[in-house]
Amino acid sequence: MLLYILRRLIVMIPVTILISVIGFIIIQAPPGDFVSSYIAGLEAQGDIIEPELIDSLRARYGLGEPIYVQYFKWVSSFVEGDLGYSMIYREPVVDIIAQRLPSSFTISLLSLILVFAIGIPIGILSATKQYSLADYSFTVVGFLGVATPNFLLALVGLWLLFKWTGNVAIGLYSPEMQNAPFGIAKFLDLVGHIWLPALIVGTAGTAELIRTMRANLLDELPKQYVTVARARGVKPTKLLYKYPLRIAINPVISTVGWLLPVLVEGEVLVSLVLGLPTIAPVLLDSLLQQDMFLATSIIMILGILTLVGTLLSDILLAIVDPRIRGAV
Amino acid sequence: MSELQRGGTATDELAPPAGGLNGALLSVRNLQTHFFSREGVVKAVDGVSFDVKPGEILGIAGESGCGKSVTSQSILRILPRNGKIVGGEILFQNEDQTIDLATEDADGRVLRDIRGKDIAMIFQEPMTAFSPVHTVGDQIIETIRIHQEVSKEEAHDQAVEMLRRVGMPNPARNIDEYTFNLSGGMRQRAMVALSLSCRPKLLIADEPTTAVDVTIQAQMLELLRDIQADLGMAIIMITHDLGVIAELTDRVMIMYLGKEVEHGTVEDVFHRPQHPYTRGLLASIPKMEPGRVEIEPIEGVVPNPYALPTGCKFHTRCPDFIAGVCEKHDPPLTEVAKGHEVSCFLYGGRDRLE
Repeated sequence: MLLYILRRLIVMIPVTILISVIGFIIIQAPPGDFVSSYIAGLEAQGDIIEPELIDSLRARYGLGEPIYVQYFKWVSSFVEGDLGYSMIYREPVVDIIAQRLPSSFTISLLSLILVFAIGIPIGILSATKQYSLADYSFTVVGFLGVATPNFLLALVGLWLLFKWTGNVAIGLYSPEMQNAPFGIAKFLDLVGHIWLPALIVGTAGTAELIRTMRANLLDELPKQYVTVARARGVKPTKLLYKYPLRIAINPVISTVGWLLPVLVEGEVLVSLVLGLPTIAPVLLDSLLQQDMFLATSIIMILGILTLVGTLLSDILLAIVDPRIRGAV
Repeated sequence: MSELQRGGTATDELAPPAGGLNGALLSVRNLQTHFFSREGVVKAVDGVSFDVKPGEILGIAGESGCGKSVTSQSILRILPRNGKIVGGEILFQNEDQTIDLATEDADGRVLRDIRGKDIAMIFQEPMTAFSPVHTVGDQIIETIRIHQEVSKEEAHDQAVEMLRRVGMPNPARNIDEYTFNLSGGMRQRAMVALSLSCRPKLLIADEPTTAVDVTIQAQMLELLRDIQADLGMAIIMITHDLGVIAELTDRVMIMYLGKEVEHGTVEDVFHRPQHPYTRGLLASIPKMEPGRVEIEPIEGVVPNPYALPTGCKFHTRCPDFIAGVCEKHDPPLTEVAKGHEVSCFLYGGRDRLE
């Protein structure tokens, strides 16, 4: 097992390098660079730009050099922990990510907890009481949840909130708390506000999890080992959770690791609609405006988290399922 | 009508009551188990009666779909969700108490206490009888501890002992193995050990030799015979393989479409088969003899279970069909020799119709 993890870690090195190369190339691929889109922006406002300023900007960001030189410059500073400087925010990339990470993480984690806390029990109920009224109702709700885009829910949420309270934005804090120093009062304010974004972000996930749990459990329930356990005198409750549930939940456990990048990124459309300070809208902005250091840094971080998450998933699966353990 | 007849014969036949069930361990009386679905009702078991005495081996044979497995699932009340016992009794003699398993709560205390302890079952697929994510020992020890007040260590020792008894090569190690690490034959043995872990009074073996190859099948039969001689429990052997019946059992009941067609000692049924269906079954076994006769399959196909024939269920395929009788009336059981009963109008019973 240890050897397996070690092997996987070693394989991750070339994959990470590959991600960095591909990420870098893709971001460099569109014609022009940040400086040209910056100048275009200024010119649109009627400003006249002197050629010297343009050259000094290009030199400062190393934009005139061949792409591989740019790549190695960027990679070597990335490895040293220097993620570069964001041209749109005029701040070091590390600071931008550090500012946004806590709210990204809190919203995503909370919505994931909601997804599991609601999805798993309802999935179990739906499977054990298949074709009952409850099962049909949750199936309808589940399909609606899967079919409704989260950003649409976010819009509906905004509208309802406006109707009821007159507030225009949901946000994470009430307006008077926005700039207050973080303390108990601000935390309580956050708790009061965060559940709605978390719920909206989690709706599709919950609906999917209900469907997955139901289907997995329905696959396991008629299996012979369940009947055999019943024929041995095992109690009905234990008959559910010790045997079929244990196996039905394995695929769910195995996806937990993949959620790691999601936790960091947050959901872009919902964040945009609700004005949530997560990382996803920043990534979108940086891509639109060709803010290469910011964009490549975020993509690299998400890429590495995906790799780590996949490894974590596989380790988790090996821990819960002896059949996998035997194979690695 | 036919049920009344049957009730009559049963009381006439038996000796004065000695204990609740006249000495029988299990007495199934006029069992009816139906399956309900959108397409309709399937009368999987439709009025079957038999007794099992302590230490006796009874065979139940018939083609797939004849209701033999449903009979066994009814006894342990482990029917699928859409299966219901709609009539009859399943009387089980537990110490000095007679319990009607058919009317107890399917997952209630009484049945849970009996399952695995007094009545245990061996299933068709040894691969899937154990949970793939639990060790063999985990499940055997669990069974022991459900039914006996023993410590984990004590239960572990008992489990190892049972694995040794069923011939596992290295019980102390095998107990911590998962089924996917065991060979087919070893899985079978592990499953037998699981069923026998509490030394049941009655073992129901539901097609235990169907999913395994011939060598393991032979080992399995030998193992069952040894264990039976050793522990002295009664066995109900359910199979479509008449060879297995001949090899292992004392008495046999032949079923067709949820009905009992013939019932008697193996000797009687195999050497003096009466019912045309039994004769057909026996004729369709390939024989390893010089100058062998052609195999004669039974004509026709098993009827659609949603639209069963009227009268005798076998009349659509019967070579000795009596027009005007067989398709109209349900043949009652007729005793052709002592302990040898047939439900067929060829042997009488027409006089008992009104």
